[in-house]
Amino acid sequence: MHSPAPVSTRRRFLGGLGAAALLGPARAEDATPTTATEGTLVAQPFYGLHQAGIVTPQPAASLYVAFDVLAERRGELPHLFRTLSERLAFLTQGGTVPDVHPQLPPRDSGILGPTVLPDNLTATLSVGASLFDYRFGLARARPRHLGPMERFSNDALDPAQCHGDLLIQFCSNTAETNIHALRDVLKATPGLLAPRWKIEGFLPPHVVKTMGADTVRNMLGFKDGTANLDVRDPRLMDRYVWVGPGQEEPAWAVGGSYQVVRIIRTLVERWDRTPLGEQEAIIGRHKGSGAPLKRGHERDVPDYAADPDGETVSLAAHIRLANPRLPGTEGSLILRRSYNYSRGLTAAGQLDMGLLFVCYQADLSAGFVTVQNRLSGEGLEEYIRPIGGGYFFALPGTPRPGNYLGDGLLAAV
Amino acid sequence: MPEIPRLAPDRRRAAAVAVALMVGLGDPRPGWALEQPDSPPRPARPSRPAAPELAAALAAYRTYVVAQADAFVRETARFVAAVQAGQLAEARRLYAPARAPYERIEPVAALFPDLIKRLDVRGDEFELRERDPAFVGFHRLEMALFTHGSTEGLGEAAERLAAETVILRDRVAGLAIPPAKAVGTASALIEGIAATKISGEEERYSRTDLWDFQANIEGSKVVFTLLRPLLADRDFVARVERSYKRVEDLLARYRSPDGGFQSYDNLTARDRNALKGPITLLAEDLSTLRGRLGID
Repeated sequence: MHSPAPVSTRRRFLGGLGAAALLGPARAEDATPTTATEGTLVAQPFYGLHQAGIVTPQPAASLYVAFDVLAERRGELPHLFRTLSERLAFLTQGGTVPDVHPQLPPRDSGILGPTVLPDNLTATLSVGASLFDYRFGLARARPRHLGPMERFSNDALDPAQCHGDLLIQFCSNTAETNIHALRDVLKATPGLLAPRWKIEGFLPPHVVKTMGADTVRNMLGFKDGTANLDVRDPRLMDRYVWVGPGQEEPAWAVGGSYQVVRIIRTLVERWDRTPLGEQEAIIGRHKGSGAPLKRGHERDVPDYAADPDGETVSLAAHIRLANPRLPGTEGSLILRRSYNYSRGLTAAGQLDMGLLFVCYQADLSAGFVTVQNRLSGEGLEEYIRPIGGGYFFALPGTPRPGNYLGDGLLAAV
Repeated sequence: MPEIPRLAPDRRRAAAVAVALMVGLGDPRPGWALEQPDSPPRPARPSRPAAPELAAALAAYRTYVVAQADAFVRETARFVAAVQAGQLAEARRLYAPARAPYERIEPVAALFPDLIKRLDVRGDEFELRERDPAFVGFHRLEMALFTHGSTEGLGEAAERLAAETVILRDRVAGLAIPPAKAVGTASALIEGIAATKISGEEERYSRTDLWDFQANIEGSKVVFTLLRPLLADRDFVARVERSYKRVEDLLARYRSPDGGFQSYDNLTARDRNALKGPITLLAEDLSTLRGRLGID
């Protein structure tokens, strides 16, 4: 038996393996997180005002998969979105897999065994700009900032790893749970979806357990995410993450969030041959402690006002460009939710690894695009190469069984 | 000139029967239809067709396979003759048509892996890739004809290829195709399309992938059509037939004026995606075919 880890009462536990089959999808007034655990019985809510997987604490494993929608008619979309919602509701809450006659292919891949445990899974469904092209007549319902991801000056985007009609972000405790969920979705949507690109990310489980107290390091060896928005503050989330009324967005989009996914290769061999002092100057933090340069603690706030010429933290340092902490730049705050990735070698035999950068914001233009334009030309560019990803819009949550993710969008036009 | 293999009289008869079957395939033969109630889209339990009907369908399929193996020998001999005569354009023209009969029955031919290794393996399955001396067969000739643009020095390889097709025909003629394999051919051909045809890996030098695509679909549909009268679930049958029709209609868009197909390079990513839809549906649906017929 698994020993339950301490979690908030908002979380839903399956009362042991036998009861798993009896439970329907959990309900939640929202998806606000509390503490992370790595228990296989932990279920994140599926129904709510917002989708889970955005302000939910990050578990150790993620899988991002973009899809082309193969449906040819608008009339097929409700079936597609309803099916996706049903599968994602099941997968995130768990249950037993129906029996099948041995002469027929099993309905479930079986990689989690006959009982699917939720394992902290969230499955967040987003739409890409191309879904709003000529095919389905959705153009008038497009979120106003949603377009194809532009090429920034340092980008070397590979079209085969970019964009997509839909994107699902699977996050859970294990790679197997994410893969199981993906295979279930593919099995349920033949003829409707074709995977376009996929990438898996990871975080160190021991750091995940203390999320909030400790910060994950990226493949450059630096702490990444220290100055992130506090997801436990609903007012911050409403201001910076969730699309609200009065933003001149389509009504259906309220409660959703702009999602940016960037596959950023880090040229680690070269980085590892760079002097420590130079690495720290490029980032603007001490490598060991994570503290801003000349400060003692990771969470110390750099005093840029006292350092106008960048003598301590260079004006071109990553942390200073990303968040200048100047009046007028607070509007560009974004919620980062990145993972590390590593997957084989490049053609030159170098390590293909880096940052699977993910962020959420209520306003794509004020958020990521503004930050990225500020970062353009930073010293770090020599060591990083964005090669894929895209702009997406994470759909608002769906309140209850009977509704489904995307129903508001489809009803809007 | 290579010797063109001649058909033995009994083979000619088998071919004639198979052709007759093909012509009549649009309608189930009288007496085959089974009166059974409709079942749900995904059967919880397969229905078991009466043995004689299944045996008749399997016998008809065996006849079809032998006829295709015969046609393969014949068409390959024409192709090989053009290669040996140094007729580059003619050899290129005959390359894809020669392979079509083989592509219709590929999973049955695959029961002889040693033979397939010499007939139809791509260079990347060998240690030295395309330079590997073991890289022979159709794709070795394809590379020479379409990439190097020459028939120079291909005589021996071409002659060996012709000989292998005769061996395949003789082995197939003596083969009792296991029922599970025969029925499984319907989905195995679709899996082949999904795995290597959509990507354009199969005919990477000639870009004649759509010929293979068409032949795979034809071969799959023959099996399905022979078994259709034994299938109780009319919704399933209708869905599968819609998917076949969808693929056929899409393929028809890429026909060339001479009755062949355009280069696969002409298809955009979106065109290829459009093919993925019905192919994936067929793959899922046909994966239940053996189970629906209660065949282990």
